[in-house]
Amino acid sequence: MKANDLLVLANRNLWRRKGRTILTVLGMTIGTVSVIVLFSLGIGLAEWQRVSMEQWGSLNIITVSQAFFYPGMPEEERDKLRLLNEQAVSEIEAMPGVLGVAPAFTVGGEARKGRERGYLQLIGIEPGKMALMEFEPKAGRLLHDEDRYNVVAGAHVINNFMQLGRPGPAAVIGPPAGRDSLELLDQRLVLTLQNARGQKRRYTLNVVGILGPQFAERAHSVYAPLSLLREMHNFINQGAQPAQVHLVEPVNRQRDQAAGLQRVRRRERLELQYSFASVRTKSVEYTKQLGEELRQMGYQAHSIADQLEGIEQGTRTVQAVLGGIGAISLLVATIGIINTMVMSIYERTREIAVIKVLGASFSDIRGLFLTEAALIGLLGGILGLVCSFLLSLLINIYAGAAIGAGAMGPEAPPVRISVIPLWLTVFALAFSTTIGLIAGLYPATRAMRLDPVTAMRHY
Amino acid sequence: MAILALRDIVKKYRMGDSIVTALDHLSITVEDGEFVTVSGTSGCGKTTLLNIAAGLERPTKGEVRFRNVALNKLKEKDLVLFRRKFMGFVFQGYNLLPALTALENVALPLVFAGIARKERLARAMQALELVGLADRCRHKPMEMSGGQQQRVSIARALVNRPKIIFADEPTGNLDTRTSAEIVAHLKEAAKRDRQTVVLVTHDSNIAGIADRIIYMSDGRLVDE
Repeated sequence: MKANDLLVLANRNLWRRKGRTILTVLGMTIGTVSVIVLFSLGIGLAEWQRVSMEQWGSLNIITVSQAFFYPGMPEEERDKLRLLNEQAVSEIEAMPGVLGVAPAFTVGGEARKGRERGYLQLIGIEPGKMALMEFEPKAGRLLHDEDRYNVVAGAHVINNFMQLGRPGPAAVIGPPAGRDSLELLDQRLVLTLQNARGQKRRYTLNVVGILGPQFAERAHSVYAPLSLLREMHNFINQGAQPAQVHLVEPVNRQRDQAAGLQRVRRRERLELQYSFASVRTKSVEYTKQLGEELRQMGYQAHSIADQLEGIEQGTRTVQAVLGGIGAISLLVATIGIINTMVMSIYERTREIAVIKVLGASFSDIRGLFLTEAALIGLLGGILGLVCSFLLSLLINIYAGAAIGAGAMGPEAPPVRISVIPLWLTVFALAFSTTIGLIAGLYPATRAMRLDPVTAMRHY
Repeated sequence: MAILALRDIVKKYRMGDSIVTALDHLSITVEDGEFVTVSGTSGCGKTTLLNIAAGLERPTKGEVRFRNVALNKLKEKDLVLFRRKFMGFVFQGYNLLPALTALENVALPLVFAGIARKERLARAMQALELVGLADRCRHKPMEMSGGQQQRVSIARALVNRPKIIFADEPTGNLDTRTSAEIVAHLKEAAKRDRQTVVLVTHDSNIAGIADRIIYMSDGRLVDE
């Protein structure tokens, strides 16, 4: 018997009992829908988490800083500690998967803006590396190489300022606390720093750009040229006590026994040590891998991608649970197909005997019933796919908008919480057909083994 | 030359606790091109004889030879080939597939034989013409009378141009006149192509048109 004849005959047989076939297909449809939709929710969840992590910070940037030294630290850990200096930066830059390293100094202090006063967290960066580190201005511009006292402010810095003598809005993470960040553009900020000797120095800074909303972790900082920050750092550290310095200078104590030498060396080192460095990687995979390597090397390193790992693990568990629930309804549908096929064989016992006498072989008969079962599976799969896309659309329109608004404020774009990728489409069709085939295996074997003479007596 | 030879056939069935002997040391030889009827009372073993001769059942003892091949020793796979190539079968209850038209029903054996659609429909049409039903080829079995259905069934048995046709009470559900017509059709078709027919019936009128009549009683041959 030829394959296309088999297909035509199986299809004809299937529609002799329209009602029963439709009901069985419906069962398979529901099974497929539950699997696809629950899977799509799992996938949507993972993608949504990734998007919201990216709003917090770049997945391609690792923040590296020196590990802390503390008294009583184990010997082997202390020996591993590394200084974050010029040499370290070029070492990190040479690692595979690194696109660039931007070392940074940080300085904090009180600043005035006209009649307002507020705390400033100032971060120095080489102006040429801002674009590489995925800085994007919402208004104004990023820093240029010739900038000296020009700065770029994060979107929420404005909320740090308040009128003298009047309480202002508290700085919050997340939705903006009222004031327009563009208020700060082209403003002058006067920063006053004090060093350990009690000397004061004032810096007047011009805000030339405001950062966009993309990375929340940058929203509260002001970015200035690295050279300016180096200068500020040096000023602040003048007259710093050796005890304070000691915490950041752990290496080679035995070799530097001469007290004078020790102090000079520490001073030198201090000036060269960066507060932290941002490492731009090629991809999230490199971010995860390099973060681990940098920690092995003795630095502190963290990135948004580290948290992603843990969250992804949670997501996988959720996906497995959702998939499991879907699989149960698919199992019920499978039993439905088996039942339908067994019923069909009872009804057609005589017919099976007749076609055996007319020359149908064992494999013809088995093929006929397997094809019928597979067709039920395939039809259920196609119908289920169509229903799944509709359901997924509805979920995204209604539930997605509600969740998006709840998580990220009323203006947030609707979240696609149900995502059906192409592979899921193909997989669903192949899977439902296979399920049909498996379901048909037992009934088809029964039909094949029917003895024609006994079956002929069956009415 | 004998086309079919049954030698010393014994067939026993288990019916509950007792064992029933349906055929008791029976021997028959059918010549090529012969039209043979098997007659006897109900339960005398006619149908069992036919089933064994057609290779649908295996005898408990004895040998069934079709030409030089022992059917009772063939494997299922080879029996399927024998049915496709050499055998036609007419059932008592017509047993047409209700979902298929007359033409498709006649073409069904050729479907299993793997013959292409165009050729098998042409051959099925010829077979329908042979039984005088070419004009009803698009009708479903439910839309035809019993006599017409049985003629379609005969066309189905002829379509693969078999060497031997087995018919099990083909007129059992039909009135006398239609029965005579049906058997006449079968005989006419068989004589044209020198086909052998073994027909089981309890109707003595029909048995009368045969070349040879075999009478059976209690699983034994009583008369020829």
